[in-house]
Amino acid sequence: MTSFQLTPVEKGIMRCRHIGPFTSEDVRTLADFFYDYNGRLLIDLSGTTGEECSKYMARFRPMMPTAAIFGAKIDPAILDISDSYYTRDVRYFDSEEEALDWLRNQ
Amino acid sequence: MSTEQAIDTFVQETGGWIASQLEACTRCGMCAEACHFFQATGNPEYAPVWKMELLRRAYEQRFTLIGRFRTAVGLEKRIDDDDLLHWSSIVYHACTVCNRCALVCPMGIQIGDLIHDVRSGLAEAGVVPADLEKAVQMQIDEGSPLGVTDEVFEDRLDWVMDDWDIDIPIDVEGADTLVVFSSIEIMKFPANLAAIAKIMEAAGENWTVSTQAREIVNFGYYEGSEEHTKLFLKRVLDGAKALGVKRIVVTECGHAYAALRWTAANLMDVPQDLEIDHITGLLGEYVENGRIHIRPGAFDQNGTVTFHDACKIQRLGGHIAEPRQILKILAPNNFKELTPNSEQAICCGGGGGVIAIKDADDLRFAAFGLKVKQINDIGADTVAMSCSNCRLQFLDGKEHYNQDWNVLGLAQMVADAMEEE
Repeated sequence: MTSFQLTPVEKGIMRCRHIGPFTSEDVRTLADFFYDYNGRLLIDLSGTTGEECSKYMARFRPMMPTAAIFGAKIDPAILDISDSYYTRDVRYFDSEEEALDWLRNQ
Repeated sequence: MSTEQAIDTFVQETGGWIASQLEACTRCGMCAEACHFFQATGNPEYAPVWKMELLRRAYEQRFTLIGRFRTAVGLEKRIDDDDLLHWSSIVYHACTVCNRCALVCPMGIQIGDLIHDVRSGLAEAGVVPADLEKAVQMQIDEGSPLGVTDEVFEDRLDWVMDDWDIDIPIDVEGADTLVVFSSIEIMKFPANLAAIAKIMEAAGENWTVSTQAREIVNFGYYEGSEEHTKLFLKRVLDGAKALGVKRIVVTECGHAYAALRWTAANLMDVPQDLEIDHITGLLGEYVENGRIHIRPGAFDQNGTVTFHDACKIQRLGGHIAEPRQILKILAPNNFKELTPNSEQAICCGGGGGVIAIKDADDLRFAAFGLKVKQINDIGADTVAMSCSNCRLQFLDGKEHYNQDWNVLGLAQMVADAMEEE
């Protein structure tokens, strides 16, 4: 079983649900997905803990599409990145509703 | 802003060579038809001949009798601050310095070089677009325009080594080859780092990366500032010197390759025995010499495969045959050329720093529209390329135009198709 599940939410938005520890294969698969994906992403951490995903969240951050994160407490500082032409907006929200609202307006 | 500084720079740059270039122009307009920004918008101000107009005016007003006379009697306007601002938006937003215009010029004028000189004058005057200036400042302050600090570099190498299960030799003194990645590969395309490491290892190369010369991108070159270009080149050359390598291999970055391969030697001391290569040439060499083996037909299932030629790697660098040699092995039944291609290829629209300027987005997407048409005209499903800046423009552009082709880096394709020995 992979450590994440990708499911469509609505046109232009996919949910990426993180559900467990990453294997190297998961990391490479997710990197390929971020590379190819054109839409926006709802990152759902409700199936994991903040500690589990923080390291990978920081590493994936420069490659992420426009994304809204919710579901587990993370240190928002891990999302900080030098603003640049290749980066997209990624934000943390306390609830799925807020996250989706923001994402729909991007 | 200092108009006088800009004019002084134009004048300093205007030696016999530039004077001869400017005098040779017959205003035939063929360069306009070669320019993707002009073709995409029809705006006459984007004709390459007009982009170098400031240089021509400075030259004529300072050096020719007719120019001095016309200026003195008010028939020609002196260059002022408004001109600098106006031309800044033309030469930085609507020019990738791809130099396709020079290829069609019947007088052989090196228009791209002259436009670079216009940028130099504007950089001296402090009229560089804010986004570009910010990236230059980041490269001065942090060593990277995209945030690849020492810590970030180390962490990303660790990540690639751990999760792509590959070894990347770091700061190996006495290695033969120093591989220098672009910041966009380090931050956005980590799989490319893994791919190149895999290829170097399979080829049995004695190679290293350097923490001192950790990235190759040169935003000073985009900006047109000689001082900054030298500063960023020096970091790479000093890193190479410290490790005692015999050659530097630039990975998938076009402008950085041009800056290091050709411009550096005109600006500073480059050790004469230091070879400078591009990864595209190296891949061709490895495949031809049998140092790596790629699986014939490995990409024949990917539909029609084509190749996008980058302005500085293929047109200027001449690495035209190698990617085709490789792609004809990888997709022998499905490789198809874009029209036009090779030296005549149309630029992606994101080079020369344009991709970094938010205010130029509409223009770069308009120019990319020509690429979309080229690709769809041959029904391509996969577009390969050997420049990460082009790749980023293609990924943005395919999203903008809602296209679904695969956009792939040549090195990654080679690594994926490599046969285990």
